[in-house]
Amino acid sequence: MLDDETAFLGRDKCAVAGIGQTAFSRDSGRSVLSLATEASLAALADAGLSVDDIDGIVRADVDTVTPYSLAAALGVNNLSYWGDTGPGGVAPCMMMGLAIGAILSGQAKTVLAFRSLNGRSEARLGGSGKNLGVETVGGLGTNDEYYLPYGLMSAGQTFALMTRRHMLDYGTTEEQLASVAIACREHANQTPHAQMQAKPLSLDDYMAARMISTPLRLFDFCLESDGACAVVITSAERARDLRKPPVLISGVAGGAPPDRRTGMMFPVVTRNDMTDLGGRRAGETLWKRAGIGPSEIDIAQLYDCFTISVILQLEAYGFCARGEGGPFAASGAIRQGGALPINTGGGHLSEGYVHGMNHIVQAVRQLRGEADMQIEGAETCLVTGGPLPVGSSVVFRKAA
Amino acid sequence: MSAHPLFPTVTDRETHEFFEAAAEGRLVFRACNACDHALHPPTAHCPYCGGWNTAWRQSKGAGKLHSWTTVTHQIHPAFPTPYTLVVVELDDAPEVRLMGHLDGAPELVAEMPMEVWFQALPDGPTLPQWRPAA
Repeated sequence: MLDDETAFLGRDKCAVAGIGQTAFSRDSGRSVLSLATEASLAALADAGLSVDDIDGIVRADVDTVTPYSLAAALGVNNLSYWGDTGPGGVAPCMMMGLAIGAILSGQAKTVLAFRSLNGRSEARLGGSGKNLGVETVGGLGTNDEYYLPYGLMSAGQTFALMTRRHMLDYGTTEEQLASVAIACREHANQTPHAQMQAKPLSLDDYMAARMISTPLRLFDFCLESDGACAVVITSAERARDLRKPPVLISGVAGGAPPDRRTGMMFPVVTRNDMTDLGGRRAGETLWKRAGIGPSEIDIAQLYDCFTISVILQLEAYGFCARGEGGPFAASGAIRQGGALPINTGGGHLSEGYVHGMNHIVQAVRQLRGEADMQIEGAETCLVTGGPLPVGSSVVFRKAA
Repeated sequence: MSAHPLFPTVTDRETHEFFEAAAEGRLVFRACNACDHALHPPTAHCPYCGGWNTAWRQSKGAGKLHSWTTVTHQIHPAFPTPYTLVVVELDDAPEVRLMGHLDGAPELVAEMPMEVWFQALPDGPTLPQWRPAA
């Protein structure tokens, strides 16, 4: 953890200059490379840049599009820096860190960050079972042999075990979980490109939906989506001369939980304290790096793979005390007009699941003042990445 | 469980002894001989004291229920729903929590006593499993 708040050299030195996305759908009918190309061209056009301006490309470790393939598809001639980060949905926030590092060290001038997936029509992360072994599983340091043979095989089941424990420890309720799903849906209802734009969600709808893995129901789960998002990052100085107002990257931080466990997602449920996220450590570092605290955050895009992940991150990043994430969410604070509107385009629960990248696009829209459900006066935005097994986070700030 | 279970890999260099012991009807966990921390998932190096003096220890096979979920949406043919996943904390090593699989949707209570049993998968390895203590 960073103890010296002057050590971080990146505060407000780089900016997002362009954002782009494809439509979000259940079946894009296209390759992920095609989706990534469209989102990237849209981000470049938004910034007023061309493919010749790109010299760096970063991606998520689980993306099947490589930086080199995307460069080839786009016609980038000057690729001199690339990087992968992750794991999975942790990647988008960490990509901002890779981009800053590349730009401030002189390895790149303008970096393209992207995530592209056919998460419904081709590779269902939610666990169709098709991506798992059919005979022998685990080994090679994954630790999955302790989990998969018992039938623990999806993120939803993992978060269900965490939800149960949070309910036991803190009295978190189904109604509080529902309040997260409903807030995100209300925001999606005002966002034309959101997959759930035309579908209101009531508490009765939530309670009547089928159980998936107790105590989590259908609407506790994010969407499975096809789509891509891309973001162009460059120095703040250069961004000032471009087409759109720059949105500064004030701080970036990852964090691992204090409880040391090997493996990927499943060992989280065997931590001593399974609901204490790595995000808590990320937040402690992030606030020092960004030079502001949670009370100065106007809006947040919190990684909502499940409703419970929002509740846990409200606690981890210090918006409320440990155990109070449920009441905080249910108070209305996270809705439009509340003290901390979250997932202002509908989030993964209702806008689309682009594995954290649509949260960054939404943050930039809000801080430029061009969001569909614009939060008036929003000047700072927290974005968080996937919460397991480690956390990641970024503070974005409107340029003065 | 169905007739076509998922077999655990039993040749991983950090974890194979767990499954070898299970085949003999013993439950074991890794621990540090120097600082006495239990290490799960098992590692050869102790991250708490920094030493390499770690070894397998035998558990008495009793624990308590830490969390559970009843899965009602099937995602793999090996696991017909409903089934219930349990996370059990070992009485003799609270830092070690292990998974168990119960058929159906049994009534469970947090912290209830659980006991280990050993499930020999058909023509395959043996899994330590957990059920409410008799």
